[in-house]
Amino acid sequence: MFMMFKKLRNSFSQVPLLGWLLGALIAVVLEYYLGDALADVLRLPKIPVLFGFVIMLKKPLLIPSVLIFVMLIYALPIGAVARLSAPVTNRLVAWLFKLPMIISVAIHLGFLYAILHLWSDISAYRVLTLKLTMIAIIVTLSLNVINGYMGEFSCSHPGFMALGAYGASVFTVVLFAKDKLFGAAILPAALGPYMFPVALIIGGIFAALGALVIAIPSFRTRGDYLAIISLAFMFIVKSMIENLEIVGGPRGLSSQPDYANLPTVFLWTVACVWIINNFVRSTLGKSLNAVRDDEMAANAMTVNTRQTKIVAFLFSAFWAGVAGGLFAHVLRYVNPGTFGLQKLAEVLAMVYFGGLNSVYGSIVGAVSLSMLSEALRPLEIFKWIIIPLLLILVMIYRPTGLIAFKEFDVKKLIKPKHKQEKEV
Amino acid sequence: MPLLRIDKMSHDFGGLRAVNKYDLKVEPGQIRALIGPNGAGKTTIFNLITGIYKPTEGDIYLENKRINGLEPHRIAEMGIGRTFQNLQLWRHMTVLEHVKMACYSKITYGLIGAFFGTPKRQREEANIEAKAHDLLKIVGIDHISDQVVINLPYGDQRRVEMARALAIEPKILFLDEPTAGMNPEELIQMMEIIRHVHRELGLAIFLIEHRLKMVMELCEIIQTLDFGRVIAEGTPEEIQNDPKVIDAYLGKEVVL
Amino acid sequence: MTYFFQNLVNALQWGSFYALIALGYSMVYGILMLFNFAHGDIFMVGAYIGFGVATGVTALASFGAIALPNWLILVLTIIISMFLTSFVGMLVERLGYRPLREAPRASAAITGLMIGIILETGNLAMLGAKRVRFPSLIKSTTYNIGGVFVTNKKIMIVAVSLMLMLALHQFVRRTKYGMAMRAMAFDYVVVPLMGVSINTIAAMTFAIGSALAAAAGILFGVAYPVLDPYMGIVFGWKAFVAAILGGRGSILGACMAGFLLGFIEIFVAMIFPSTLRDLIAYSIILLILTFRPHGFFGEPYSARLRL
Repeated sequence: MFMMFKKLRNSFSQVPLLGWLLGALIAVVLEYYLGDALADVLRLPKIPVLFGFVIMLKKPLLIPSVLIFVMLIYALPIGAVARLSAPVTNRLVAWLFKLPMIISVAIHLGFLYAILHLWSDISAYRVLTLKLTMIAIIVTLSLNVINGYMGEFSCSHPGFMALGAYGASVFTVVLFAKDKLFGAAILPAALGPYMFPVALIIGGIFAALGALVIAIPSFRTRGDYLAIISLAFMFIVKSMIENLEIVGGPRGLSSQPDYANLPTVFLWTVACVWIINNFVRSTLGKSLNAVRDDEMAANAMTVNTRQTKIVAFLFSAFWAGVAGGLFAHVLRYVNPGTFGLQKLAEVLAMVYFGGLNSVYGSIVGAVSLSMLSEALRPLEIFKWIIIPLLLILVMIYRPTGLIAFKEFDVKKLIKPKHKQEKEV
Repeated sequence: MPLLRIDKMSHDFGGLRAVNKYDLKVEPGQIRALIGPNGAGKTTIFNLITGIYKPTEGDIYLENKRINGLEPHRIAEMGIGRTFQNLQLWRHMTVLEHVKMACYSKITYGLIGAFFGTPKRQREEANIEAKAHDLLKIVGIDHISDQVVINLPYGDQRRVEMARALAIEPKILFLDEPTAGMNPEELIQMMEIIRHVHRELGLAIFLIEHRLKMVMELCEIIQTLDFGRVIAEGTPEEIQNDPKVIDAYLGKEVVL
Repeated sequence: MTYFFQNLVNALQWGSFYALIALGYSMVYGILMLFNFAHGDIFMVGAYIGFGVATGVTALASFGAIALPNWLILVLTIIISMFLTSFVGMLVERLGYRPLREAPRASAAITGLMIGIILETGNLAMLGAKRVRFPSLIKSTTYNIGGVFVTNKKIMIVAVSLMLMLALHQFVRRTKYGMAMRAMAFDYVVVPLMGVSINTIAAMTFAIGSALAAAAGILFGVAYPVLDPYMGIVFGWKAFVAAILGGRGSILGACMAGFLLGFIEIFVAMIFPSTLRDLIAYSIILLILTFRPHGFFGEPYSARLRL
């Protein structure tokens, strides 16, 4: 039995990433055209939205049907296509590997986007979940820069998100939307989508400016005291917004134009992963690790630790701000209550669960906790016993998170895979 | 012009005068040592020179530029490298990353390069990596460049510290008890590395050591410190026969 | 002027809650070098246990036809609840923190947050979303002292709080275990080498901190009888801030900072519109920490959340 598993694993290790993407694409196409029919045959009320978790929890009698659906649409097609196409995909990937890396990466991303697009086309709920998950990736990555790579304990990210959300929203609503707070739109609506990146960047810059409030005290205090300062910052931002009637106060701000569609969120997520990964792999970026592990030694080795801290906080806050801006435009509503202790617990959980000091870890943490949170919705409040318990278990057995300290190497991802050499 | 000149440097910790009117002149390429019983103030002097503390009195000049009062990373940039008495490595980083990190001040690709992976950044990173490998070869640990330092044996960790300090391209290298905790074999290897580095790179070296045999064999001039004051200064022969030095060490453990 | 003294009394009461809860945080922080983010929820649990005990004792008394005076029920409630809640605290330590003693402190902090969420959800699951009313055990009498209206409840709350703080002070100064705790705050590693088990000290620290939080919870229930499962969150975090403000390992500092926070909140609300209360209070705290990063009585011990 174990041998069979091992043989299976060996044979699948030959499949390059593109092969898996191809398999997933076929699966999603199958679901798109045959999904409804299959669901009828299996007597499912509709296509299982999140791989059937919700249905399995609400109507346990349907579990066999759901499992069959998942097998026929996902597991078997993905596995079969991936494995069988391996010779072809490996050759293709090897050829692409010789070209400039950007081409191979673009093709992989294209496949990935196609998969996400088709998968989510089935229902608006899927689209929303996907968008929120991608935003979660951005936030988790940005927090990991401070808490993981620089080893601090910062509680300020909900505050940065709030600044970004409001910064971007005020920009788009004032300029492009008719709204009771700000009146008619100032610029033509057609210009809107093109200015959206500007809105997000403004939100990000706004958040980064806020980060100065934390970065400067961080020169003198470390560790626990910085945690308090960042916590105080979060409360201050929330309270400040609640008192600004000009942006709606505690009732919030709405009428954001619908600019945050799936491709936009996807592209910003990809950009975030790419830029942050570039940064943490550079020697300049590794200065964050040096400051974390021994600040005195870092100083003695020409590292300007003050500059490092400022860059880290502002950079991290910028992306949290961008995430906030995207969030506001996905929901088309934002209010200060969202950015309090609950949000703090969520983002901290994603970072520490996924893994510190790791791009992989942040992606895994964000995706798994977002999906889990959605999938367990039918359990209502028991969701909030299972998820914390899961986190506690991870903390006890892997204190730095599931995938900590592992480097995200794009080159390794897009390489052709060969059969594992037999061990002597 | 002396490479490093210190004029009557004194330093107080509260009411305690830890360093008392300390003078120093180091010529380029010289190998010097600072010896003395524990608690004499040797590491404090290192910390004062490298900018961790600002001296209460006195001035420090590197190539005639005053450096006391500057930030430690500026002083390091100007050419003062050091190792630490109790190894201060970066636990989660690899050997290679340690050496690359010390090239921080030479980086010109800036944030744009760091965020976007520009060709300039790729070139500079490749150069830094090549230079790091060269330095690791000099100290003999290039074969373990991908290991995380926390897993290495003590002797190798000391070499990492050395290679890291050399990556700054220092004009003068401060070694704080580089052979502490080493067995005789490792000691000989470290002495050879120090000689090799001195020959190949031509930098000045300033050593704190307790192993007098090593100090006598390597160094041109030796200062003896006791209670924050220099009580003797001279060549190995002069120091060996100086009654004040013998007196300071009388009753204290001397490792030969 | 009377307005000022009126608010002073309110501030003393409000500050008592913060101080009692902050003490638990500060003890755990000082002795075990970790933040127990579930502490605010232990305050909530204590209040609910108090509700249960008070209701239970009253029911038992009427069942057995014993006429127990209300003040006696209150005293029994406080004592029994403190005792029971200390077990909750010890359980939290045993299950959540002991396995993580060697782990990075940030991981323990996250565990604490999660335990807090479990406590809240558990309460919600067991008792439902309906808010619970703390039985009224003290008939409210108001005294008029020179134009300032002071209720007996307020006096009692402040008095009991001060008594508990004094008791703690004596315990820490005069008993063997108190001495061990103080020693551990200075040097974590040496104490076990001197024959005192960390497990014992840890359990005791959590037990005492939780008992104090329970007392705060019951006193809170006396003053503001409506309880809800999320009442511990805001209190918890604010008391946490007070504990840091007081300085690492300083019991006196935690008390002072707790009262100070109470004062800041009440007096800020007195002068400014109440919506600005949090904003100004936290800005003041931010300023204090910028200029005195180690809190009032903390040593410049660099307590890093080491990975």
